[in-house]
Amino acid sequence: MAQNTDVATAAAAPRKAKKSQKPSGTSGMSRALVRRETISAYCFLLPSLVFFVGFVVVPMFICLFYSFLDYGLGGVAGFAGLDNYIQLFQDEVFHKGFMNTLLIVVVAVPTVTAFSLWVGSAIYKMHTIPRSFFRCVFYLPVVTGSVAVTVVWKWILHPYNGLLNQIAGTTGFDWLGNASTAIWFIILILFTTSIGQPIVLYVAALGNVDTSIIEAAQVDGATKLQVFWKIKWPAIMSTTLYVLVITTINSFQCFALIQLLTRGGPLNSTMTIMYQVYDTAYRLQDFGYANAIGVILAIIIAIFSAIQFKLAKTDN
Amino acid sequence: MIKKVLAILMTLCLVLGLAACSSSGETAAPAATEAPAATEAADATEAPADSAATDDSASAEPVEISLWSFNIGSFTETSSWDSVIAAFNEVHPEITVTVNAINYQDGDQRLTTAISSGTGPDIIFEGPERIVGNYAREGLMADLSDLWTASGSDISEGISSLSQLDGTYYFFPISAAAHCMAINYEVFEAAGALQYIDEETRTWTTDDFVAAMAAVRDAIEAGTVSVAVPGIIYCGAQGGDQGTRALVNNLYSDYFVTEDGSSYNANSAKNVQALTLLQTMVNDGSLSANASFAASDELQAFANQTCAVSFCWNYSNYAQYAAQTQFTPFAMAFPSDDGVPELEMAGPYGFGVFDKGDAAKVEAAKTFVDFVCNDQTAGVEVVKATGFFPVHTDWGDVYAGDADAADRAPFALMSDYLGRSYALTGGWTEQRALWWPLLAEIMTTGADPQTAADNYVAQANANIG
Repeated sequence: MAQNTDVATAAAAPRKAKKSQKPSGTSGMSRALVRRETISAYCFLLPSLVFFVGFVVVPMFICLFYSFLDYGLGGVAGFAGLDNYIQLFQDEVFHKGFMNTLLIVVVAVPTVTAFSLWVGSAIYKMHTIPRSFFRCVFYLPVVTGSVAVTVVWKWILHPYNGLLNQIAGTTGFDWLGNASTAIWFIILILFTTSIGQPIVLYVAALGNVDTSIIEAAQVDGATKLQVFWKIKWPAIMSTTLYVLVITTINSFQCFALIQLLTRGGPLNSTMTIMYQVYDTAYRLQDFGYANAIGVILAIIIAIFSAIQFKLAKTDN
Repeated sequence: MIKKVLAILMTLCLVLGLAACSSSGETAAPAATEAPAATEAADATEAPADSAATDDSASAEPVEISLWSFNIGSFTETSSWDSVIAAFNEVHPEITVTVNAINYQDGDQRLTTAISSGTGPDIIFEGPERIVGNYAREGLMADLSDLWTASGSDISEGISSLSQLDGTYYFFPISAAAHCMAINYEVFEAAGALQYIDEETRTWTTDDFVAAMAAVRDAIEAGTVSVAVPGIIYCGAQGGDQGTRALVNNLYSDYFVTEDGSSYNANSAKNVQALTLLQTMVNDGSLSANASFAASDELQAFANQTCAVSFCWNYSNYAQYAAQTQFTPFAMAFPSDDGVPELEMAGPYGFGVFDKGDAAKVEAAKTFVDFVCNDQTAGVEVVKATGFFPVHTDWGDVYAGDADAADRAPFALMSDYLGRSYALTGGWTEQRALWWPLLAEIMTTGADPQTAADNYVAQANANIG
């Protein structure tokens, strides 16, 4: 028994030593100092953590909870179980909204990313003044309010007095009132307001690529395409991943443009899942169903983001 | 250790958050069921409604109530209510009224958010469509029957029926008018289309309307007039639907809802005939249709002479666009086959009181409503601010002697053509959303009117209850 205790003590000794040595061994700090710094770190994190929990995590759970209720303006009428979700899969407006949302994402995300990369590549080597000028030009729609942007586009696309119809000689044609053209103008306007941030990010990322590697590759006879594809592209992959995820989420959550320009019409041709959440909650005052749509939207976005992370990881 | 503490804190946050939310849900629900009890309590104490409140005002407990006011007429800002509230506080200094001015763009959203989170108003200034059709139906409103008993005897039967649900009054009106349409007088004159209207009664027949719009179209093609299109059927957004609805219903003298209120009626033979006529007029260029146009877009197009008629006219719009119009906007009734129009009511506008379980606030709110709607001095001021006409028939012509009395005369005339009101039909909110796609489908995609109307009625009737 005593032998066993000795063996155990002997075995535990190095572990204890290892454990106690780890902090001082790696950073030269005492355990007390590490603890103090850890507490400080958590104190600094706490405000944002409280904010995040209070305004993101809790509402998410509330949203999930309400999606199982029959909840209208008069309060909770009862437990709906999966009824809201079943209704959702039978709802033609939701189907239309889902397809439109998918179309916006599938078209907007690659075009925004590719165009931003192209513009970023073209301007990052420029001198400071022209580079700043182009960054400002492309970033302007981002800092301009959605209302101002839509007012300008409404004027451009006005059927009778609009700039586009005046130029094209198609006076009277209702671009936003035509079921086959409205969604494409929403995508176009979304595109113009989405490219600013990715361009700025790409300009910064491309500027940070190690020039010595590029010069070495050029000395070894690499073509411009090879330099881009083999050196720059891997170096800016993390930026690309960020741009893809952010653009995807923004595209899924496209709301202000639709609210201000078409309100989901004509004939639901610009209805999106995000707009249907708003419409169901605030016009039809069916909060339970609106929450169920919101939950499905969150799941779809999560799936898309996971796929993008996975693909980017594989690429790396 | 710290991780554990943090985890416990986060769990607590989540649990508290959920608990808070579930409790707010619980408080919202009883509001619907407790309303009668609270009302009974209020009724018991306030039988002598205004007189008791006035007598006891000096010794009464101070109460603070909130009024949310939609942008009706010139009630566009909080300060629009200052003089009315000042007059009220002279009589009832113990009641403090705070005003929140809301508009039709985001008012519903703000109200819904506030009501569902328990921070809604005590009084709302709007029409029965929301107050009775939405909120009373959800059990959120206080019973105003005692106000009606005391001072509603001279209000018309039509308005009275719009103010109640299942025999209980939830709305007290102050002003009303008729929705009508308008023509650009100078354009019609230049196009030779004035011959088709009766300028004295401001009416026209369906055939006259068709001929007049064709004349304007021909004048546009000949370059005689400078408008771009004769008229625009707006098929977008929610507001202003009463205009296109009244146009369709009047053309061949039918109704929007069947006599017994059990079904929407857009697919009746006469209404389909009207929709077909409008589709034909769009196709031949004597009208235009825009699915991206809301009523406000059409009004703006009328004001800047892009089109020659507006289907969404009333005194409020006249006043709003008067400064922009460089022509004579001539108010007209909607055309009908027999020349006898039946117009929809603009409003009536008035008050509803939310019952949030606080009997003192309900009583104070009713005292305010009673004062504003029945005190002739304050009431006339409010009526004039709305731009419409008093619902109290014994108030007479409140605009007599005013500088703009002549401008208001055509709109007073329109009140003679008031017809049925449908705003309290079940599923009204849902059918309004369906009305625009129906118009867009028929007018902009060339869909068969009968099929589209059948589809619309089937969907609208699903919510009629």
